[in-house]
This record gives sequence, C-alpha cells and structure tokens, in this order.
Amino acid sequence: MKIVIVGAGEVGTHLAKLLAKEHIDITLMDEDPERLRDLDANYDLMTRTGLPNSIKDLREAGSQDADLFIAVTPLESVNMTACMIADNLGAKKTLARIDNPEYLQPQNKEFFKKLGVDYLIYPEMLAAQEIVTSLEITWLRQNLSFCNGELILLGIKVRDNALIVGKKFMSGFFDHRRYRIVAIKRNNTTIIPGGADEIMANDIVYFIARPENINFVRDQAGKVDHKISSAMIMGGSRIAQKTAQSLPASINVKILEKDIERSYLLAERCNRALIINGDARNLELLRDEGIHETDAFIAVTSNSEANILACMAAKRLGVKKTVAEVENIDYIMLAESMDIGTVINKKMIAASYIYQLTLDADVLDVRTLTSADAEVVEFVAKSSSKIIRSRIKDLRLPANVNIGGYVRNGEGFIVSGDTVIQPDDHVICFCVASAIRKLENFFQ
Amino acid sequence: MYRDFNHRFILRITGALLLFESAFLLTAVLVSWYYSEMQEITFLSSAGISALAGGLAMVLGRNANPVIGRREGSVIVTSIWLVFSAVGMLPYLISGSIPSVTDAFFETMSGFTTTGASILNNIEAHPYSILYWRSLTQWIGGLGIIVISMALLPIFGFSSVQLFSAEATGPTKDKIHPKMSETAKRLLAIYIVLTIAEFLLLKVAGMGWFDAMNHAFTTMATGGFSTKQLSAGHWDSPFIHYILILFMFLAGVNFTLFYFFIKRNFDKVSTNQELKFYALIVLVFTAILATTMAGPDTFSSVHGIEKMIRDSLFTVVSLITTTGYGSVDYMQLEPLAWVLALITMLIGASAGSTAGGMKLVRVLLVVKYAYYEFKRIIHPNAVFPVRYNGSIVREDVITKVLAFILIYILVIIIGTVVLAGSGMGFLESLGGMVTCISDVGPGLGSIGPAYSFSEIPAFSKWFLSIVMLVGRLELFTVLVIFTPVFWKK
Repeated sequence: MKIVIVGAGEVGTHLAKLLAKEHIDITLMDEDPERLRDLDANYDLMTRTGLPNSIKDLREAGSQDADLFIAVTPLESVNMTACMIADNLGAKKTLARIDNPEYLQPQNKEFFKKLGVDYLIYPEMLAAQEIVTSLEITWLRQNLSFCNGELILLGIKVRDNALIVGKKFMSGFFDHRRYRIVAIKRNNTTIIPGGADEIMANDIVYFIARPENINFVRDQAGKVDHKISSAMIMGGSRIAQKTAQSLPASINVKILEKDIERSYLLAERCNRALIINGDARNLELLRDEGIHETDAFIAVTSNSEANILACMAAKRLGVKKTVAEVENIDYIMLAESMDIGTVINKKMIAASYIYQLTLDADVLDVRTLTSADAEVVEFVAKSSSKIIRSRIKDLRLPANVNIGGYVRNGEGFIVSGDTVIQPDDHVICFCVASAIRKLENFFQ
Repeated sequence: MYRDFNHRFILRITGALLLFESAFLLTAVLVSWYYSEMQEITFLSSAGISALAGGLAMVLGRNANPVIGRREGSVIVTSIWLVFSAVGMLPYLISGSIPSVTDAFFETMSGFTTTGASILNNIEAHPYSILYWRSLTQWIGGLGIIVISMALLPIFGFSSVQLFSAEATGPTKDKIHPKMSETAKRLLAIYIVLTIAEFLLLKVAGMGWFDAMNHAFTTMATGGFSTKQLSAGHWDSPFIHYILILFMFLAGVNFTLFYFFIKRNFDKVSTNQELKFYALIVLVFTAILATTMAGPDTFSSVHGIEKMIRDSLFTVVSLITTTGYGSVDYMQLEPLAWVLALITMLIGASAGSTAGGMKLVRVLLVVKYAYYEFKRIIHPNAVFPVRYNGSIVREDVITKVLAFILIYILVIIIGTVVLAGSGMGFLESLGGMVTCISDVGPGLGSIGPAYSFSEIPAFSKWFLSIVMLVGRLELFTVLVIFTPVFWKK
C-alpha cells in the first residue's frame, strides 16, 4: 500500500510515523524543509519538499500511484485543491482535513466525491465530540458507543471503594451476562485480563456493556454520578468553539480567553457562552468567575503543559470533572496519573480515523483510547472470514486482542468463550498497540 | 531518555550477516572445483567457521529488542565490517596463499573497503579460487555489506534506516523508495545489471571469462584488484581499456541517477550538477595529465596520440573513481603527474556511487560557498544561498560538509605523521595515507602502481587497514566511537 501525506504538521507527522512502522510506503510532503528535517533519516519513510498545490510536486511525490492521498495542511482550501489534483493524477482515494462543519453534512458527500475528495476529516470537531460525550457521564474516563449505541465501551478508574477491586477473574464474581471487562490499564501497561488476573485500586478498567446495564456497572465500580450543569473552558481554540456550540443547552458555558480580539470573535461565534477576557491561569480570576460552583473544567489551549496544570488547579478548587487537551504524546501518561478526568489528543483522534481507511478488512469504526495505547475496532464478519469458523475460545486470537461484544440483527450481545460469530455480525474488538493488523486476518 | 546499550541486537545482526558471508564463501568452492585446485576444503572450512560463529552470535543475541539508537547504528556497521574482514581472511591463511595474519587482514580489508592496495607480488601464482574470493570481497564491499544484505534479507526491521545512513556515502541520502529495503533492492539490481553488462563486453573484447568476471566485479566496486600483476596494462587492447574506462566512470556516478534514467526521468539526470562537474573535472585533469605523457615521438603517429589520450584518461578515471587499476605507472612521469594523482584521489567521484574519496558534491558545495564568500565582500548585505540542483542548500548541511572536509584533511595529516614515524618515507607516508583513506589502491614512491604494500612495516599495515575502513564509512561512523561523548551516560 502506498500513501502520500501532504502537510507535515502534528497530524500528518504523527500519522506518517504510525503508518511507516506497518510496511506501508509513506511519502510525506511539506513546503517547509525545516518540518521534514531528520524525519527520513530516522523513520522508514520518504520526505519531499514541495508545494501542496503544485501539480509537478504532487506528481513527484508519487500521488498518481497512491492508494490513499491525505491532505492535512492547516488550510482547508489548500487541502481540497491538493485532493482534487491528486485525484485527477490518479490517486485511488483522497482525504482532506477541513475546517467547516457544513461540508460534513450527508447531502454534500456526493458533491465532494464528484470533485475528487473522497473523505473529509475535521479533527477539532472529532475532539469536541469526544469532550461532549465525556461530560454526559462524568464518572467515566472514556465512553464510546458502537452500532447506534447497542454496545458501549466504558473506561472507569476504580478506587478502593469499588466492589470489583481485589477480585480475581476466575472467582466468578463478575457478571459476564451484563458486562465484560476487556482490558485493564495499570500504571503504564495495558493488560488483557486472564483468569488469574485481579483488579486493583487505581486501575482503569475497560468494560463492554449494553446501555441498560450502565448503572449496574457504575455500582460495581463504586462510582457516584454527578450531573454537569456548568462548564468552564480555558482558551478560545477551535476545539473550544466546537465544544461550546455542541454542548447541550442545559449546561452553562463560560470561555476564558486572554486575547481581546479573539474574545470578540468567540462572542460572535458562540453566542450561548459567556466570554471572559482574561488568563485562566490566574486563580483570582477563576474564583471571581465562580470556579467553586463549576462542575467541569475544560482546558484546550495550544499549550499542553498549561492545560495539565490548569486542570490540576481547578481540581484543587473543587471542580469534579476536568478535561485537558494534551498534544504531547509523552505527557498523556503523566496527565493520566495526575488524575485528570479525560485527556484529549487531537492528532491521535484524527490519526485513528484515518488509520481505519488503510485496513483491508471490512472495518466500520476505529476509535483510539488516548490513555491506553489501544484501539477499539468494529469489524464486520463475512461468510469467508476465519472468525466464524469456531468458538471464540478455540480461535487462538493474538495475545493482545480481546473480543468484547457483537451486534446481530441490530441487537447487542456480550461475548463469552462459547460464542460463535456469524456472518454479518458487527464485532467489537479491543486491540493493544498495533495488534489490529494481526486481527485483520480473522475478518478478511 | 537513556537506554542501555543494545549489545544483543548487535550480536544478532552480526551473526545473521556472518551466515550471509558463509554463503558467499561457498560460491568460491565451485570455482575451486571447476579448476580442480583442491581448495574446496579451504573454502568449506572458512564457510563452516563463519556459519558457526554466526550461529553462535545469533543464539547469544536471540530475543533482542529491535529498537536501536544512533550509537548502536555506528557500532553495528563498524563491527560488521571488521568481523567480515576477520572472517574473509581465513581462505588466504588456510590455503597458505598469504601466511601472515597481518598481510591477510590488510588484503581482506583492502578488498571489502574496495581500496585495492595489495601485498601480493606475484598475483598469477595464486589459485583461481583465491583470486575469485579476493575480487568478490570487493564486489560485496562496493555497494556496501549492509546495503546488499538489506536487499536480500529481511532481518533489519525498523533499524534499517539508521544502518543504511551509517553506511551510504555522501552528504545527503536520497531515497528512491519510501521503504529502505526497497531502495536497497533497486540499488542492488542496478549494480548487478551493470556488472553483468561489463562482464559480457569484456568477454567480447577478448578477455578470458575468469578475468572478465573478476574485472567486472572489481570495476563496478571501484576496487581495483586485478587478476594480473600488471593490472590493466597486461592487455594491450584499446577496446578493453575503453570498456574499463566506461564502467569505472559509470561506477563513479550516483546510482540513483541510473534509477531516474530507467524511470525515463531524464530531466533529473541532465540537470544533475554533480554529474556535470564529474565530467568536467575528468576532462580537465585528462588534458593536463596528457601534457606530462607526451614524449618526442608521440605526435608522429595517430596511434601515439590515441595512446597518450587513452592512458591519461584511464589514469584520471581510475584514480578519481578510486578504482586504482594501472595501465601506465604515473611514478615514471614528471612530478606534476604525481600531484595530479594525489588531488584526483582526494576528490573521489559522486556521492551515492561505489567510489571513495571526499566526493564531488562536497567539493562542489565548498567551492560554491567559498566563491560566495567573495561576493559577500562586495555586497555585504546580499543573500547568497548555495544552490544545488536548483534548490537551496541549508546552512547546517554546508557546515557539516565543511567539517567533513576539515576532518578528512586533519586525519590525513595525523596519519602521515604516524606513518612517517613508523619508518616509511615521505612520499610513501603521504601517498599511502591518501590512497587508503580514499580507498584508491596505489600510492606514491615505492608503494606506487608498479609495486605493492608488502614491504611496509607491520604496524603500518594494521594502521592503514583501519584508515581504509574509516575512509569507506566516511569518517563519522567510525570516528564517533572514539569520542568521549559517545560513551558518556
């Protein structure tokens, strides 16, 4: 497989490094040689300096033979044009990063396809959606729903008071008809649990469950539900705007932005939110604005360190739910251990979305778990797939893979060892690190 | 973040490559068998030792973590070249062709680094299979041990990029394919096709098939080992000389240009400044050298003029590509010829070719940079970026090139002092140092084209063996291991 990526920004570079490890031919192009520096000497990929909208440069980067052409420069129109040129040169599929939610509406899909842009991605929107879901149920670290909500994946940090803490899997304590624990994140390692494993305090436990059992899971995990009625957002970035626009009307939103010009812009775009011109790192200001009565604090400035620290300060001031955007991948584990409720990483969200386009098997959805170095994948089983040949426990699945549940005829089920997957089932799998490629063979 | 030095991975890679070397050694068994030389046991036992050592190293290095840093990269490449030479000298020792360890190691290192400096004084007296192995070491070393094995074996995994850049030559490493192993495969294919083409042409021109094969091996590697004591001078055929000139020249061209040529991307080839510079330098030096060759009756016949031009062209191409074949002995000419020989050896041919030396692209960049320094005196505020093939060369690349050339010259000066201290004469010390660091072969004075390195002191042989390796891996890869910062935690 051959992929050309234009734009060596955060998303493009992250994606190129990720895919280069997987025997995919990657060409990364950018107009600024400084950004490409040292990349091709350290990773198995090719870099090229060239203008994203030059036909000659795109041809030299090999766009005409590309199976997938990805344009992720910061500028929407540049990305669109690059995709059109690449499509015309002969690229099989194209993807553009965009900045305008109108483009994502279903009725426009055909139009963009005609122009030569097959897929559109809006990383800020994806990040904002993740923030909004994380605020719906506050006791969850992660909340992903699959197949119209028939199955949900829940990431929960368990404390001493949880019923499941100190229980071994073989003890039979866990009610596998109502939920299944697919993975445990302990310190910096993700464990696929076996019979002898035990749940300990401060683990992040990943459950697959049907939505009606969510309260049962909460009881088992010893969590209390807080309703969010007010949120404070630090920084007026694009993610902040998207979040403010998509939060339900029942939540009161304040945005703190230190730049006055940007504050006016925010006031224009997010008319439901109260815009405050000031630095959110100033605790005096936070107190004045009523941080004590705020339920959620969301830090989404471009500065990861500031986001982490501000969230910790907010936590100390009594905020129950904190969300931080952390773009520095090495800091994610750190933020995780500092008890930041939810960590958002724009480039990982975007990369996992693009990643699913590179898989051969019929994959409907790939979601990355920011804090676990793992992915949750929704595969569709076919009549020719290896997965349907025997019971799950006889399949000899790779070690770092766990099948959590499946959806048959629109109804979700939790798997057990004796389950046999049937054709057309949608199977939800949990894959650590890059096990996804190994699992792919079972569904081809 | 500091990681422990990854010894296991180094062992594993070295072990795998030793198995690879034993496969090469086994091909010499066929040559011995064909000529009924009774040398089968020599090569079988050498291959056996190589395989045994390789297997052992692989067992010791099993389950190694495949992640390596730059430090391991330098150590792996350097140690592989040393280990290959240590194993590659076994046939000489076992067969008794070269009884001394010092001489055998020098000859093998001279082979793998494609230097072509020899301690043999009567080449024709040695068995065919030994001569075949001697030429084959050059052919393997020409493209690079790592590059050849990367093309044929999928053992390097993620670390291939670092190893490739530690071995490949030139200031910029052009990839012609996003995957390193694919790049290596394409380079190897070009190398093999050119070698076969030369072999066939030499055969047609009248060489025996054994000589043709060996000369094809050592020309394409710009090595210079010959199967005859008189080197190319053994054949009096202009046709053979012109074929050798052509393929030496081609071996000194950046191999990625052949790839662009095959891909019908002629613009890239015709606008390549290094290639033009290469052709220009060869022509100018040939013209100057020709003046020193003109004797009283040169111009009396067309044949005399043709021979003068052919000999000077042969000498210049042979030295600038750091091959080191001789058709005439330049030590018999005026001292001007010696100076020219020394300069051409220093410059070397293109980056990304099999040649040694400083590489033309570096010389070209420095010449441009120096010229712009003058322009800057006249227009102090003007911006004069150095351009190469139409794009601007970044300042840090220039700095690296300048540092390279400076260190190159420093190493030559220090080495000359060391050699003179070990008891060699002035011409021999300077010539030996330049010829070995540039991986050419013949030096000056009593180690000139007509003589061999057999008479120099044992210490000098070991020293020059290491110098050849330092030159072949372009200084930094080997020298960095000897810097304190390399070992500091």
